[in-house]
Amino acid sequence: MGTLIKQELYKLNHKKGTWFALLFMVVVQIGFAVLSWRYPKFFGTQMLVMNNYIGGVLVDFIMIASAASMIAMEFQYGTIKQLLYRKYYRSQVFVSKLIVLLMQMIGLQVVATAMTGGLTMVVNPKFDWTQTANAMPLWRDYLLTTGGSMLVMLLLLSLVILMATWFKTNAAAIACGFIGYFVTAVAAQIIIMFVQRWHWLKWNPFTMLLTGNQIVDPKTYHALTMLDTPVMIGCTLGYTVLFTLIAYLSFRRRAV
Amino acid sequence: MEALLKVSGLNKTFGKKKVLHGVDFTVASGHVVGLVGPNGAGKSTIMKAILGLIPTDGGQIQIADQPVSITKHQALRHVGALIEYPGIYPFMTGRQHLNLFAAKKQRKQHIAHIIQVMGMASYIDKPAKSYSLGMKQKLGIAQALVDQPQLVILDEPMNGLDPQAVKDLRDIIRTQAKAGTSFLISSHILSELEKVADDVLILNHGHIIQQSTMQALVEAGGTTYIVQTVNDREAFAALQAAHVPVNLVDRQLQITQTDRTTLNAALIALVHAGIAVQDVTKAQHDLEQSFLDLVEQEVH
Ligand SMILES: Nc1ncnc2c1ncn2[C@@H]1O[C@H](COP(=O)(O)OP(=O)(O)OP(=O)(O)O)[C@@H](O)[C@H]1O
Ligand SMILES: [Mg+2]
Repeated sequence: MGTLIKQELYKLNHKKGTWFALLFMVVVQIGFAVLSWRYPKFFGTQMLVMNNYIGGVLVDFIMIASAASMIAMEFQYGTIKQLLYRKYYRSQVFVSKLIVLLMQMIGLQVVATAMTGGLTMVVNPKFDWTQTANAMPLWRDYLLTTGGSMLVMLLLLSLVILMATWFKTNAAAIACGFIGYFVTAVAAQIIIMFVQRWHWLKWNPFTMLLTGNQIVDPKTYHALTMLDTPVMIGCTLGYTVLFTLIAYLSFRRRAV
Repeated sequence: MEALLKVSGLNKTFGKKKVLHGVDFTVASGHVVGLVGPNGAGKSTIMKAILGLIPTDGGQIQIADQPVSITKHQALRHVGALIEYPGIYPFMTGRQHLNLFAAKKQRKQHIAHIIQVMGMASYIDKPAKSYSLGMKQKLGIAQALVDQPQLVILDEPMNGLDPQAVKDLRDIIRTQAKAGTSFLISSHILSELEKVADDVLILNHGHIIQQSTMQALVEAGGTTYIVQTVNDREAFAALQAAHVPVNLVDRQLQITQTDRTTLNAALIALVHAGIAVQDVTKAQHDLEQSFLDLVEQEVH
């Protein structure tokens, strides 16, 4: 298993996209920091901090692309046979990929957060991290928001991985991942309207896309989702595990 | 000699189509076994089953007395393979591919050695997306060999290789086999394996229709000699008169050796008739013909 993880890291490291995406994120973050320094009225520090200087949404995009390609590329390049004929099993190959994705996601978020802290210090040194936001100190709000969005990210990634096991090419899997990102966001908004009418609908996986919001602002979102926050967190993890399992079954059944 | 790979009663069905029918064979340590059959015979399917890549419908596979199946991969530790076409990550260089699959022990030496014997030094550090078909094929073979496996499975390894590369590959296989490595090599051209395989399995429609040593197969096919004389027409008449099995094909005198004295008899007849012999050569395609005949017989 250690060998498999090392192999996945080696491939990730040698993919130009990996480092290009990271660089792109950092450049965009710096760009927004410059904008907030030039036009503080339009680009308020608080808004930018909460969004990691737009790094948050970029982490989402990078991870969707990475997850989709990590699975789909093996089939596109025909390398899957070489991974599987060795002494390893499909389950081990699959899990090693999940672990490396998790490592990448954490790594990206650490960079995004470090950049957020650093840029704020440079652009707005007097920024008050203890001011109240969502009825709590801002730093706490930031951490909860980040944690919540990572949780929802896991759910999204499990769907992307499931989908990637159906695709023949990298590009198709990535494109579908991006489209899915927007579609699920819209679907979540629509379905939540129906939850008011048919309460049982609240258990659908799209509701769990709001877990991040509810963690930060339980009052407003509880009224929409009709679920308690701990239940939502549990359901988000539950659906993530479920989709990942289905993805594994699909990966296992796929002919090589 | 002890069998490293044992396949017995192997069956495989895809949907309703039965692709392998009770395939039995063994590969001894240090032996090179050719698996020959026309397109769709089931060569790649057998190899995938041996590598635990696909589920089978009955039958047993053992490597070094350990069972192999889609859920038992332990015995595949010391196996290297290239199946159907090489799997290449376009964003990595050839050397990085070898790094990825080579075991840690003496990695550098093994990689350097394989690059040298395969003649890949000039492009090994370039990204694989720039490789030609043959370069990719060589990289695929190098990946199969780099981890010092005991058993190497190569599916149509000569695909896309130029004559020099084919010769290099034959030399590598012979050298490794001498050192004790076993090979199972597939091809749809029997003569391609003539100079490298010890044993041959001929596969047709998922049945092994012939299993023998390469030497026996070559001898069974008989050898055809092409004789050139100053006057082939006269020579033809003289040989026929002497009851030598001779054909005049495309203005070439072809003599099929039926036993060891056929060629002698032919030459004696020509000398007696006073016809000067200019050249005698061995025909190339007889092995292929005997293979085609075998497959043909099977159909009818
Ligand atoms: N995944 C699959 N699903 C259905 N049928 C398959 C599958 N893989 C192979 N087959 C069928 O099994 C038979 C044997 O295929 P296989 O690839 O083993 O042939 P082969 O001897 O390697 O041929 P070639 O020389 O063309 O490579 C063919 O009839 C093929 O159509
Ligand atoms: Mg084949």
